[in-house]
Amino acid sequence: MRGLLVLGCRLAVGGIFIYASLDKLAHPQAFAEVIHHYRLTPYPLLHPSAHLLPVLEFVIGSALVLGIWRRGAALLAGVLTVFFMVAITSALIRNLDISCGCFNTDGGHAVGLDLLFRDGILLLLCLPPLLARESGIGLDRFFRK
Amino acid sequence: MRLESTVRSALAEFKWSVSLREAGLVLLVAVAVTTVSWFLRDDGLPLAADPMGYELELAAPLTSTEKALALYDEGEYHFVDTRPVTNGDFQTIPGAFFIREASFDDDLLEYFDFMTTEDHFILFGDGELFPVSNIAARMKDRDYRNLLILKGGLDAWLMAGGEISRRNGGES
Repeated sequence: MRGLLVLGCRLAVGGIFIYASLDKLAHPQAFAEVIHHYRLTPYPLLHPSAHLLPVLEFVIGSALVLGIWRRGAALLAGVLTVFFMVAITSALIRNLDISCGCFNTDGGHAVGLDLLFRDGILLLLCLPPLLARESGIGLDRFFRK
Repeated sequence: MRLESTVRSALAEFKWSVSLREAGLVLLVAVAVTTVSWFLRDDGLPLAADPMGYELELAAPLTSTEKALALYDEGEYHFVDTRPVTNGDFQTIPGAFFIREASFDDDLLEYFDFMTTEDHFILFGDGELFPVSNIAARMKDRDYRNLLILKGGLDAWLMAGGEISRRNGGES
């Protein structure tokens, strides 16, 4: 039962992260502009972030879906989600009327409290793969000593 | 109760060292893939971003001074001075309303009888776009939809030969 819960959470979080990365991977310039709109990233870090973040999302998502390094991937997914929540909260506090850039780089959902709620659920979904002993079906067994 | 004990046992069994090691491996793979793909991609961005190449996403469209001058002459638009209050004399666009970040609600209340949500407004500041955009966002929250931001602020207006009036900081 726990194995099924972990597997379900892994697939959900992993699928969301992979889906979120695709448009950003295809359009690095547009994603750099989305990051810039948050006005949090200094220019020297803008392009490296625009390249690294989507790849990181994709690798985390793939690791969770395939069941490789499940705990580490879930930990990073949680950290990234908290990071996104901080960025959204900061934009809300500063009254920034910007699109979130969560899933696509072309306009998309405006930052709002509903995004914090959504990310809160995503954060909760990261917990079972992070904490549980059982992994559910996955490739982790091939990496165990 | 059962959930609590499940969470307790999960936390007791949780191994930070394993999670951190695995997170490090995932991060390492991501950095390696990013580095390789950056060199291989035709549309890869340069390492350092050029600040001139990035426009901000503003809460209202920008308008040029030329266009603003034409709209001023037509008299269809109200001008809104968003600059912070200063002591002593200052220049502004004749007939401009004063709506400032620090006193936004009071300022809006003061102009309640003179501003409708259907009116057209051009907001200007001292050339910095962030503060003007923030005021535009707050006005949009109050259903003012027809907003423009003057690019370059009052300095650009003066440079383009726009009319000005002199006001005193003590005036309301």
